[in-house]
Amino acid sequence: MSRSERHRLSSLHDVELASLAASGDRQAFGELVRRHGSAVRALLRRMGVNAAEADDLAQDAFIAAFESIADFRGEGAFGAWVKKIAARVCMRRAQKDKRLRARLEANETPETPAVVDPGRRMDLDEALRGLADAERLCVSLCYGAGLSHAEAAEALNLPLGTVKSHVKRGLDKLKARLAPEGEAMEGQRGNG
Amino acid sequence: MAEMEVERTIERLFARAPELGDADVFAERVQRRLDRGWAARRALIGVAGLVGGVIGASQLIMSNLFSRAEAASSESARVLTSGVRQLAPQAEWLLNGPAGIEAIWLAAGLAVVAMGLVLTRIIEEI
Repeated sequence: MSRSERHRLSSLHDVELASLAASGDRQAFGELVRRHGSAVRALLRRMGVNAAEADDLAQDAFIAAFESIADFRGEGAFGAWVKKIAARVCMRRAQKDKRLRARLEANETPETPAVVDPGRRMDLDEALRGLADAERLCVSLCYGAGLSHAEAAEALNLPLGTVKSHVKRGLDKLKARLAPEGEAMEGQRGNG
Repeated sequence: MAEMEVERTIERLFARAPELGDADVFAERVQRRLDRGWAARRALIGVAGLVGGVIGASQLIMSNLFSRAEAASSESARVLTSGVRQLAPQAEWLLNGPAGIEAIWLAAGLAVVAMGLVLTRIIEEI
């Protein structure tokens, strides 16, 4: 792709790129991958998938997104749409791959929980490491991929109540760990 | 923090994903996979067309079509010859008219231009 073509694509909005991609423009879709690839890979890693497998799943998710790009009507953000696809691709893979499913849904608290140093800002990845695998997966699906509790329950093939309780416990732990972060954010808003 | 505020904060933190260093490499990998899939699809369509063509051609040969077409064409030639004989006086009138053969060439040329315009329009529509 020429530099001018890349420059032209980089100046377009996601919806315009998606529309070009729907007409078969693979370069336009490549620009969407460049913009949202990191977010999708980060989400899969946050769900508990290892880095190499997350990259593999993210590729599958983008291929699936290209196949169904005509369904993207631009009503929501492209990033959110592709994250939902990635979460579902991951869950489908987990249905077939027992090893992946076991890793994602193990109901164990990590042996070395993240240490909370009061007053220090903790990032989300660090805080998520302190959650049990199932809690982290449910929280990531609902707050990272934007699935509803019912959609997450369906994707995980778990009872709705189980998903809700994983989310509740996960949120409580994150709330405790991220308290300095939340306060900092409130402070920023107050100053802005 | 209130429950809703916690949820919004966590959503914001999830949305604030770090830009990974190999983002371009990842995008190129996806692009290559898309290109490979596209090439495979085109090859598949080509092979399907070839197989369809071979089957179609073999069906034509098997159905003895050529001998039937030959018989039909000799019959058509006979009909055409008799038709031309009936039209000959009118054709002579046309050729010997005020514009003569130039008018026929002009009409043919206009027809070709019109066909060209129609084809261009169809291609644009596609």
